[in-house]
Amino acid sequence: MKELDPLLHSQLRLAVMSILMNVDEADFVYLKEKTESTAGNLSVQLDKLVNAGYITADKGFVGKKTRTVCRITEQGRKAFEEYVEALKGYLGL
Amino acid sequence: MEEKELTERESLAVITEMISRTKERYIGDGNIMLLWGYLTVAVSVLVWVLINATGNLNWNLCWLLIPLIGGIVAPIMSRKHKVKCGVKSYSDRVTSQIWLGVGIYAIVAMLFNLGFGILAHIPTGAVMLIFALAIVPFAEVAQGIIVKEKSLIIGGAVGLLIGIVTLCCIVGDVALRVNWYMPLFIVAFVCMMIVPGHIINYKSRQLR
Repeated sequence: MKELDPLLHSQLRLAVMSILMNVDEADFVYLKEKTESTAGNLSVQLDKLVNAGYITADKGFVGKKTRTVCRITEQGRKAFEEYVEALKGYLGL
Repeated sequence: MEEKELTERESLAVITEMISRTKERYIGDGNIMLLWGYLTVAVSVLVWVLINATGNLNWNLCWLLIPLIGGIVAPIMSRKHKVKCGVKSYSDRVTSQIWLGVGIYAIVAMLFNLGFGILAHIPTGAVMLIFALAIVPFAEVAQGIIVKEKSLIIGGAVGLLIGIVTLCCIVGDVALRVNWYMPLFIVAFVCMMIVPGHIINYKSRQLR
């Protein structure tokens, strides 16, 4: 049976990827609210996903405040689909 | 939510939960429609009153207030709304691209219109009526179908019908007199922009 991607097999990272699979883009505040996570933890997990090439995080400014907008990449989309397929195998679905 | 290892069943639960949390149907921003709707109606009334009072058709230049004011305010409102929402869905992207196309068409049509008027002294103002009552309602119906919002489809259909009347009058050389055409034009924009704008805002408030 295919091994589950360790990068996605974590609660917060999987939650972020699930959201980004469902929308075109989402900002940091939206992701924090939907995943009910802390800013520090979310920031660390986003960095891991960015470094893996699964998502992009574009930092911009709105007035004087920074705004980080995240989008899933093709690589991330493929990894997520493979993860779900592997999950189905484990669960016998 | 924390950074922790999951069982396979927990993974499935996380995916299902996140899909459920992001599935809120977003139908658009009613305030931008209200801006264009009230602005167009206000300028129409202004032009109607001024032409009736003075008989001077040069007051038609007041129509330029619509792209001038709307073209500045609408992008600012749109940007603020995007930041407030924090998320952009696929349907948002498609509808915003449709309206971007409509905006570009409006600018090109306006430039041609001004070019014909200034350089060749040929009045082609009716082109902008066709834009307002054919291209705009068509885009609105498309948006209504994409976001599944009936008020946009019905409002757009009313606009298209009035657009057909306008086109028939232009082709048939029937003069579009201010006293009957202006009220019709105002009705079109009330149905196309103001009514759907208020309905969308009401529905958005209910979703929150």
